[in-house]
Amino acid sequence: MNLEIILFILFSVIAAASAVIMITRANPIISALFLVLNFACLAGLYLLLNAQFIAVTQIIVYAGAIMVLFLFVIMLLRPEHDLTLQKKSKIKFMAAAAGIFVFAQLVYIIFFFSPNASQKTSVQSSINSGTIEQIGTAIFTKYVIPFEAAGYLLLAAAIGALVLAKKKFE
Amino acid sequence: MENLKTLVDSLYLLKPEIAISCVLVLVIIMDLIMDKNKTFLPYVALTGFIITAFLVVEQYFFKTSITQNLQKLLVIDAVGAFFKLIVILASCLIVYFSLISKEVKEAFDRHGEYYALICGMVIGMFFMISSADLIMIYLSLELVSLSSYVLAGFTKNSLRNSEASLKYFVFGAMSSGIMLFGISIIFGLTGTTNLLAVKSVMAAGGNSLTFLFASILIFAGIGYKISAAPFHFWTPDVYEGAPITITAYLSIASKAAGFALLIRFITLGYVQQIDASGAWQLVAGSIDWKKFFTVISILTMTLGNFAALWQDNIKRMLAYSSIAHAGYLLLGVVVLTNQGLSAVILYFIVYAIMNLGAFLVVMLIANKIGSEEIDDYKGLGYATPFLGVCMAIFLISLTGLPPTAGFIGKLYLFTALIEAKMIPLAVIAIINSVVSLYYYIRVLKHMFLTRPQNEDLVINTSFAEYVIVLVLAVPVILFGIYFTPIVNLAKNSVALFLQ
Repeated sequence: MNLEIILFILFSVIAAASAVIMITRANPIISALFLVLNFACLAGLYLLLNAQFIAVTQIIVYAGAIMVLFLFVIMLLRPEHDLTLQKKSKIKFMAAAAGIFVFAQLVYIIFFFSPNASQKTSVQSSINSGTIEQIGTAIFTKYVIPFEAAGYLLLAAAIGALVLAKKKFE
Repeated sequence: MENLKTLVDSLYLLKPEIAISCVLVLVIIMDLIMDKNKTFLPYVALTGFIITAFLVVEQYFFKTSITQNLQKLLVIDAVGAFFKLIVILASCLIVYFSLISKEVKEAFDRHGEYYALICGMVIGMFFMISSADLIMIYLSLELVSLSSYVLAGFTKNSLRNSEASLKYFVFGAMSSGIMLFGISIIFGLTGTTNLLAVKSVMAAGGNSLTFLFASILIFAGIGYKISAAPFHFWTPDVYEGAPITITAYLSIASKAAGFALLIRFITLGYVQQIDASGAWQLVAGSIDWKKFFTVISILTMTLGNFAALWQDNIKRMLAYSSIAHAGYLLLGVVVLTNQGLSAVILYFIVYAIMNLGAFLVVMLIANKIGSEEIDDYKGLGYATPFLGVCMAIFLISLTGLPPTAGFIGKLYLFTALIEAKMIPLAVIAIINSVVSLYYYIRVLKHMFLTRPQNEDLVINTSFAEYVIVLVLAVPVILFGIYFTPIVNLAKNSVALFLQ
């Protein structure tokens, strides 16, 4: 067994376990911390797939910024008095059914059907395409229009946040 | 560098989008510089929109092919330009509505954001209408949604306003999440996000089951925008709670962009070719859109019409009526022919005018009496004969009775259905129209056949209000009698439709 497979098994087992622990905890803070662990393991998996840039973004944006936001919101909402969601078995059942359905779909796609499986990509080109340089070039040439659209999306979000945060109309 | 050069060469195709982006930036900067003085902001936006409208008209006549178009991310063609024209004209009217709306005037200190967000929505809708790539579809949909969530809760002066915004946001986040999941499955299956490339991979021996599943997931996102049946739950609450100008805007512009996106998604991703008779041949193994849309459109119209029967708030009633109209519009997509497409285009011209008109009258009356309950409309026909008669024209047109434009729109939709040999569906649609007569006429009954509660209530209409109501009411009658120009416009747009 080479190092890559060992790392893959390590990361994926921790990711799966932390995901399960995350959704079964009653305390939202513990859930959030396990989510951080899950994100970190996913970043490791991205690295194994030669996607360095996405791995770093995953750590900085998701495990870093977004999780801090999550914890802040949990702190401000103080949800310890509101645990009704846990008790509704109907919701749990629906969630489990949806989860199993999605899992079955993914297994089906990956193992029994993949129309682009014949497309072999060489390891070197996959390493190259994961670098910041390549991603930057793609964003600023081929995908410049979606990039600009994303810019306007952020602008609209910023203006929207401003409107919502401004004091109520007297 | 190669990519960059083709991009620069094809920048002229993006003129309307560039213009509207400049308007957005201009509105924000003006708002910052002029601080307290915001009276001219609507005029800046209006001027910008009118310039953009001219650029869109220019675009209508461009002859390009998809391979030339901006790395195949966007498609510029006549059908797209037509829908952009509907969007931009609706935006102009909405800015005008905002000028005379009491509700919007009261939130004076936030006008800069208001017009900036409308510009943001227009950019999003333009991209939505012309996108040929799943990334573009998702980004533009999000841009439109984010701007409209905030606009729906813009006035913030009542509980229902904030409720509208929150509900819209929760439903929107759900459906865009579902859509994104569908997109990720399609990317996983085919390794590409370009709709044309997806089509060719799937045509070469695709698996229909997973592809079908992903297509339905993506439809969830689009169906939410056009408020088609299983995804319509947000519509009544949002339409009721949002400021009337925004309600009217959502019911026209956002729906137009959604339908354009739906048509684009089907034609680029699933239609193998269009044969001589104008029928769309679907890719082998793709989902049977005909059956799917038949079910969705029957559900949408029936649900919209029957739920509208019980409404006491006129905005809520118009919300259900707009769901019903989404159902009728889907009929034009069901047939999957060029004729159906031209019927959709024709219906959109008519629908935009009459629905904007109805919302305008509701807004003017709400400005005066401060209520949108149908019970408070008692005897208003006597207090303001002009608005009463115009409301009658708009509502009769929404029902689809001659001699109004609504009749012509429905006529062409049903003709397209009958020519595609879908008689049962046409019969269901006609029965639905009959049902809709009840709730539209009920408003008129309250306005004209009941004595006013307050005998000395007199509603005066200012000159600006006269002009805008007439601008909308006259075409409804005019296009009902002399409809050749709009029919020709619809046919011509489809003839220039890009494959």
